[in-house]
Amino acid sequence: MLILRQLRKLNGQQRLQLGVEQTRRSMADAAQKNASFQYDKDPQPLFTDAETQRLLQSMTQLQLEKVFRKRTVPDNSTETKFMTTAQLEKEFLQTIEKAKKLLQMPPVVQIKQDTEHIISKDPALKDFADTKYVFTDITFGLRNSERKIVVRDADGTLAYAPLETRKRMNQLYFPLEGRRSYTPRMFTHDDLLQRCLDEHKYEFVLDRLTVQYEPYEAEFHNFSAKVFAHLNESKEFDLLRSTRHFGPMAFFYAWHRCIDDLLYDMIRRDYLHNAVELISLSYKIHQVPVDYKPILSQLEALKPTPAQRALAELLSCLKKPAENAIEHEIQTAIGKTEQDFAADEISLKFIEQYIGSKHALKKVQLELAVQTLKEVNLEKLQLYQGLKKAHGVQAS
Amino acid sequence: MSRLLFMSFIKPNWRASTSIKLGNHINTLFPPSDCTLSRNISFFNKLPADDIWRGVTAVSNAGKKRGRGKGTGRKVAKDLNKGQTIGLGKKSCIWPGLNAPILRGNELIYQQKQSENEDREKNIIQLRDSMGNFKLSKLNPIDRGWSGTKMPGRSIGPPDSVGEDSFKLFDTRVLENKIVFIMKGNMGRKRRYSVLSVTGNKNGLAGFAIAKAPEVRTALRKSKNRAGQKLISINLYENRTINHDFYTAFGKTKIFVFKKPEGYGLVCHRAIQTICKVLGIQDLYAKIEGSTNLQHIVKAFFIGLMRQKSYDAIAKETNLHIVERQVAKNGFPQIKASPLLNVNTSEKDRIIDFMQFTLGNKIVLKKKKIPPYFVNSKGHNIFESKNERFRNQQNVRLHKLVNSYI
Repeated sequence: MLILRQLRKLNGQQRLQLGVEQTRRSMADAAQKNASFQYDKDPQPLFTDAETQRLLQSMTQLQLEKVFRKRTVPDNSTETKFMTTAQLEKEFLQTIEKAKKLLQMPPVVQIKQDTEHIISKDPALKDFADTKYVFTDITFGLRNSERKIVVRDADGTLAYAPLETRKRMNQLYFPLEGRRSYTPRMFTHDDLLQRCLDEHKYEFVLDRLTVQYEPYEAEFHNFSAKVFAHLNESKEFDLLRSTRHFGPMAFFYAWHRCIDDLLYDMIRRDYLHNAVELISLSYKIHQVPVDYKPILSQLEALKPTPAQRALAELLSCLKKPAENAIEHEIQTAIGKTEQDFAADEISLKFIEQYIGSKHALKKVQLELAVQTLKEVNLEKLQLYQGLKKAHGVQAS
Repeated sequence: MSRLLFMSFIKPNWRASTSIKLGNHINTLFPPSDCTLSRNISFFNKLPADDIWRGVTAVSNAGKKRGRGKGTGRKVAKDLNKGQTIGLGKKSCIWPGLNAPILRGNELIYQQKQSENEDREKNIIQLRDSMGNFKLSKLNPIDRGWSGTKMPGRSIGPPDSVGEDSFKLFDTRVLENKIVFIMKGNMGRKRRYSVLSVTGNKNGLAGFAIAKAPEVRTALRKSKNRAGQKLISINLYENRTINHDFYTAFGKTKIFVFKKPEGYGLVCHRAIQTICKVLGIQDLYAKIEGSTNLQHIVKAFFIGLMRQKSYDAIAKETNLHIVERQVAKNGFPQIKASPLLNVNTSEKDRIIDFMQFTLGNKIVLKKKKIPPYFVNSKGHNIFESKNERFRNQQNVRLHKLVNSYI
């Protein structure tokens, strides 16, 4: 008994030591990461670049049932309408536009530094009052960024208001819906934010962050970095797919050279063209001398954009079963068309090239994923061809 | 000691007062101490118990004809002998030959006093109290109907099974329970109970029936079983509401029924509510215009339910797509039904409104609310202008409490 107890005690101590070490290591890691998780130069030109935007939008995808999923709103009424086919087609186009608007990415820009800009120093006005006076131009129609806000200090100096004061005054006179004058508790208490993250409420946190802070604020950068870091650990990337935060997330990983987990997730879910896009983005950001453009253009020719795909999905319910119904049925049963198979082949080559290069960090894991996907794809291709043959559908 | 003194003080006084009072009628020569007055004869011991009780409980002949002395509040004769046995009385004594044997072995038993049972009288009174007046049994709140202990709205269980058809999952609710009269040649005004009840399986199957009987219970049973034989099948939308809004009428009763989203509940007349509950409808709004005759409401509502069309049928009839947009889904258009033929419609064709189509071009009468008398008074205007700056205070307070910034 005694021996047992001693053993247990020893074990406990060991575990304790181990635990302490682990936490220390993870803390150090986190500190390192936090230090490195800042944009060292202005990311805005790269982010707003048309090609980058196209890549990010394609990676985000447009799953209609996710973009238009049921949300908790006070009014859950429904409206039933009669529509002609023409009206319905127009309605579908509008729906796609709406979805695009809902998926607009919050910009990734540099942190704006506060600069003191004194207009005049009037020592004669010294001690005219005990407090500062803030003057705000509330002319109708001005943008918040171009509104003039100045502060008269108690010592008589007249200066442009610092960013924090600007934000507060703007919120006071022109309140933004959803933004609070006081910082929400989840951004002041670390444990509350941690709880949100542990429950994988990434979208909620990011949405609230976007409402509460401007993209050029330091808090916006810190919190979004925290969320993306947590997401990289938990690997629940699918939660953000088809939301407005997927693009910035992918950009963040590409910038900080940690795309492998996201890449693995994309390969596992058979989003190979997205994987190619992610690798290309990373190459683009870090100016790796690999020519990715021809492959991207090849893929573009084979794969429709997310918006086109969503529109086709919407319009498909209007179509009547046509003569090539069997071919369509085979395609829907397998989930892939001939073009998809061709695109997969091109993408796989590019991905393997990446895995073989020095940029990939989790090579074994990625290789395994690619291998399994290849096998599955081969099986699908065989089945597809067999089914086509059996139904006597001509190869186009 | 003091008590004795008190008694002795009272007694002579009492005697004196009686003697004075009775002095005019009775011979006063007798000394007062020997006179014990008592009246031993009254209707209590002159008349038999039946007659006395009749005096309390009977209703006059004219009243009887009108039906008085029946139903609740009826006085009933009490059996005062209940709970009493011969030989056992106020003073518990052993009476040989009455409540005890005369001989026990060789020993003769004598009349003997025993310790008094103090609870005896209390028990008898309690027994009598519980006997006579009819007491309402307390209803469980779940079993209650629309109002008090009245029948309408109450459940009376599933209809009795007929042969092999059993109504296991059914529930019947009373909608109306009233007394009706008819004139008969030889009996004159004859009263009966008329019961309207609705039965349903909470899954789109329901029926209603009226039955009359001289007794309430038989009327309930008859109407319940008849309702079980008149079932109507109704298609429910998502198993919770009606297919579409509709207008329906019976006699002077007009009902506008509206389909509502999940969680809305039943906002309508209590009879319609009860019908919806047995049918399995959970969300609905109904507005009644005109007469609120209960039987007409029930009939109109059932007619409306039966006349509903499916979306496919409407699309086929109008050659238009039916699209549903949900606010919670950001207005995403969902095709509910499409026409079989793709008819080309020109821009000039007027597309009818869906609600207008389903309501049959009827519109609900929206009455203007009459504002209260004080609305434009000076005092109220002052009050409103003073209160304007506090109009957001409640929200701000709530937010502060929620976020505890204080």
